[in-house]
Amino acid sequence: MSGAGANVCNRVSLASALTVLQERAQRGATRENRGMHVRYSVLPGFGPTLGLTLTWLSLIVLLPLAALAIHAAGLGWSGFWHEVLTPRVLAAFRVSFTTAFAAALINLVFGLLVAWVLVRYRFPGQRLVDALVDLPFALPTAVAGIALSSLYATNGWIGAILAGWGIKVAFTPLGIVMALTFVGLPFVVRTVEPVLQDLPAEEEEAAMSLGASRWQTFSRVILPALAPALLTGFALAFARGLGEYGSVIFIAGNMPGISEIVPLLIIIKLEQFNYHGATAIGTMMLMLSFVLLLVINLLQSWMRTRHHAQ
Amino acid sequence: MTITVSQVTKRFGSFLALDAVDLHVRSGELLALLGPSGSGKTTLLRILGGLDRADTGSITFFGEEALGLTPRDRQVGFVFQHYSLFRHMTVHDNVAFGLDVRPRKDRLTRAEISEKVTDLLELVQLAPLADRYPAQLSGGQRQRVALARALAIEPKVLLLDEPFGALDAKVRKELRRWLRRLHDEMHITSVFVTHDQEEALELADRVVVMNSGRVEQVGTPGEVYDQPASPFVYDFLGNVNRFECMIRNGEARLSGLSLTVPATAIAPGPAVVFVRPHDVELVPCDGDAGAGLPRARVRHIFSVGPTARVELDIEGHPLEAVMDQDRLRSLNVHSGNWYAVRLTRPRLFGAGTRELP
Repeated sequence: MSGAGANVCNRVSLASALTVLQERAQRGATRENRGMHVRYSVLPGFGPTLGLTLTWLSLIVLLPLAALAIHAAGLGWSGFWHEVLTPRVLAAFRVSFTTAFAAALINLVFGLLVAWVLVRYRFPGQRLVDALVDLPFALPTAVAGIALSSLYATNGWIGAILAGWGIKVAFTPLGIVMALTFVGLPFVVRTVEPVLQDLPAEEEEAAMSLGASRWQTFSRVILPALAPALLTGFALAFARGLGEYGSVIFIAGNMPGISEIVPLLIIIKLEQFNYHGATAIGTMMLMLSFVLLLVINLLQSWMRTRHHAQ
Repeated sequence: MTITVSQVTKRFGSFLALDAVDLHVRSGELLALLGPSGSGKTTLLRILGGLDRADTGSITFFGEEALGLTPRDRQVGFVFQHYSLFRHMTVHDNVAFGLDVRPRKDRLTRAEISEKVTDLLELVQLAPLADRYPAQLSGGQRQRVALARALAIEPKVLLLDEPFGALDAKVRKELRRWLRRLHDEMHITSVFVTHDQEEALELADRVVVMNSGRVEQVGTPGEVYDQPASPFVYDFLGNVNRFECMIRNGEARLSGLSLTVPATAIAPGPAVVFVRPHDVELVPCDGDAGAGLPRARVRHIFSVGPTARVELDIEGHPLEAVMDQDRLRSLNVHSGNWYAVRLTRPRLFGAGTRELP
């Protein structure tokens, strides 16, 4: 898309020739490119591939979710809200969303740091560090949960030290944040890395030569360029944190109202054979997550159009 | 604003990028750093701009030592080859950047900045595009934004790194003329890097020819073209015929040829002789004028535009001649014809002169 736009620009290029008319023509061309207009492509098959994509998404994503919603609909409107608006459920929602949000924020900051170090510097053992970043993806989350809780319990290596300062991690919401930070680590790192690699150092030099301080260069040049990728990483880590179950239940303590997360509550409902209750909470979770991710996505596409405005 | 560079050396690992370079930039001039890639011209420019550090040597800006100064304190405007515009900012914000980041006490008000940016965009003839993003501009427009952005901080020196390198030929030519006019109006001391000899000769007040981290020659375009100081400069600026030769008895005998040129002021021994194609004169073989001259056969004629380029074969060696179309017609030059050849202004360099790379 940008190719066509730039070409038009090139032809128009020289200032003397720049008339309002040409600008308008260019804007017209841009609008056309943005629409449903399908351009010739080397690999044909827009029809079949789109069809396949929709079928696949329906089968894998929409169908189970629809089943969930339909099942919950069996409760009726008032029954649904009756299940969802209990203090215990609301508390679980609060715990899930705040801890996932906090963990995603932590990952945002430290993920950027890790990505920066991996991209901008060369050091011995770099490959090892690089591989380490992906470990939370591979490790069964229950194993991570057990390892973390034994470390951060008041008699664990780190927990004992922190207990000396009166900080309790295991079996508190802080423990949940800890576990979610662990499982969400790779997301920000892996989404920011490629963008950072493509960020030319010349832009930083340009900022410097224009008199910007280091902080100004970082905050006004580097950070805005990375913002869409950071947001993607944040959204992924956040979504992962919302759905995470395995690692959390071992370290959370699971006290209703304090450190009980939504996925756990759903399991509890299921164990009590309260299927409707479980699906109602599940549906609520689904809707909230969907709205949240949608907002993040919109924010992202807004940023992208600002950056690479065609 | 004069700049003096003395004995600046820079290494990248084992590669010697700059080898004790001395240079003087005069106030208000437009200076070209010309050389092949790897000659150190960009490195020198980056050191002037404070983007790289010299290993040894010193640089003074108007008598004041500058090596320790940050780019901000040097008040240097830098224009990059690939524009390096901030992609997430509009044209307006790009140009305003240098004014926006000033410490609060030196900063202009928002309205003043806006006014100044508008003035600058008018100067570079891009005022209607102030709200565009860089991705929406052509290469030539982007480079002019980059120039406006560099000028916004009112630099004392303007440094341009291959400013037209990434543009197509037509845009490059127009932008080149435009930059020359701009410089004539503003008189900012400017240094630009290029590997395009035509660009350097056309645009600059003075040209610095660089090779392997050293300055080969400094002079006006006319001086470096007509009186090259070294074989390298001769070879690098424009087309040239180059022959190995041996000097004996005040005469240079071209290797493998029955052709000699007078060589009085040069020591006996091996040497090279250079002849520009427009100093190769073709003479009809049948007349008296061609008597005693070596013969060459025409192989190809490239005749597009006002001059024609004739490729000749002289005793097995290629030789290039350039002449205008009238001369071509009057000589009736065709492929396969034989002519007598006279070298009108050969230039000799003895073995002592610096070797070609």
